[in-house]
Amino acid sequence: MSTPVLIVDDSAMARKMLQRALPADWDVEVTHAANGHEAIEAYRAGKAAVMFLDLTMPDMDGYQVLETLRRENLDCFVVVVSADVQPLAQARVMELGAIGFVRKPVTAAKLAPILEEYGVR
Amino acid sequence: MSRPEFSAEHRDALQEVANIAMGEAGASLAKLLGAFVRLSVPRIQISDAALVPEALGTLLGPDRVVTAVRQSFLSRVQGEAIVLFGEAGCAEIADLMGYESALAPAERREVLLDIANMLVGACLGGLFRQFSLEPGFSAPSVLAENTPVEQLLGTDAFDWGPALLVEVNFSLESSAFASHLVILLPESSIDSMREVLDQLIATL
Repeated sequence: MSTPVLIVDDSAMARKMLQRALPADWDVEVTHAANGHEAIEAYRAGKAAVMFLDLTMPDMDGYQVLETLRRENLDCFVVVVSADVQPLAQARVMELGAIGFVRKPVTAAKLAPILEEYGVR
Repeated sequence: MSRPEFSAEHRDALQEVANIAMGEAGASLAKLLGAFVRLSVPRIQISDAALVPEALGTLLGPDRVVTAVRQSFLSRVQGEAIVLFGEAGCAEIADLMGYESALAPAERREVLLDIANMLVGACLGGLFRQFSLEPGFSAPSVLAENTPVEQLLGTDAFDWGPALLVEVNFSLESSAFASHLVILLPESSIDSMREVLDQLIATL
């Protein structure tokens, strides 16, 4: 069965870059979300076994998504993908349950080790 | 004059490269001030240059009295970078930087010039790196101090026709300090920006 993967970013270009950075041999069914609300909706609909999550978004940002997921028992692997390189940003998202932090711009080489480590693919 | 063509795709791409560029600038600021810096979603708009002060006022919201530092940059895409510091935040700068007492006006000016120079260098450097361009910068200079933002730019200062504005801001959780970085491109550079964005989009 394909793995449901959710890509959350307010930028269409960023979502496209992320999708291209996924391992070529990974059997996935990809859904896109342009903000936190869409992300939560897609997660509740079972479309996110793995979620790639941007932090800086209008409306509902990545931190709020992580907090909501935690309240709902976080039944998915979240990899945060952000341009925010402050160590504290990384510490906060890990504290909120993310399994990894990838610095933008995202590449296949940056994603692969995290996906391998958690055996999500 | 007709407005330069700037599609939704160009806007989206520019917003994303600006977001990536501000990450590093935010981290440098965080290190300097010893505080967590919140990054904004970059805002982009095309406006007649004569309306730029008004547009800035809208972007800034209530923080209307500002000290502004300007720096021009020169590359295939050229324009002006303006860093605006809100009045309330300026008052806290000495404290954030660990000075024992309030700063004299000249010292304060020096500190704000340094911060602006750092933000512009990191942000514009990061922006242009994504286009494989390396901009040159003029020395930063103080454009205005404690001035209402609407009076910041005389209309003749930017006799450009349409201009493209990119605004990002850095705010602190624990302080009123905030700085806005505004990148202004004249019409000729809007075309160049569109070209470099097209090249970037084509590589995806």
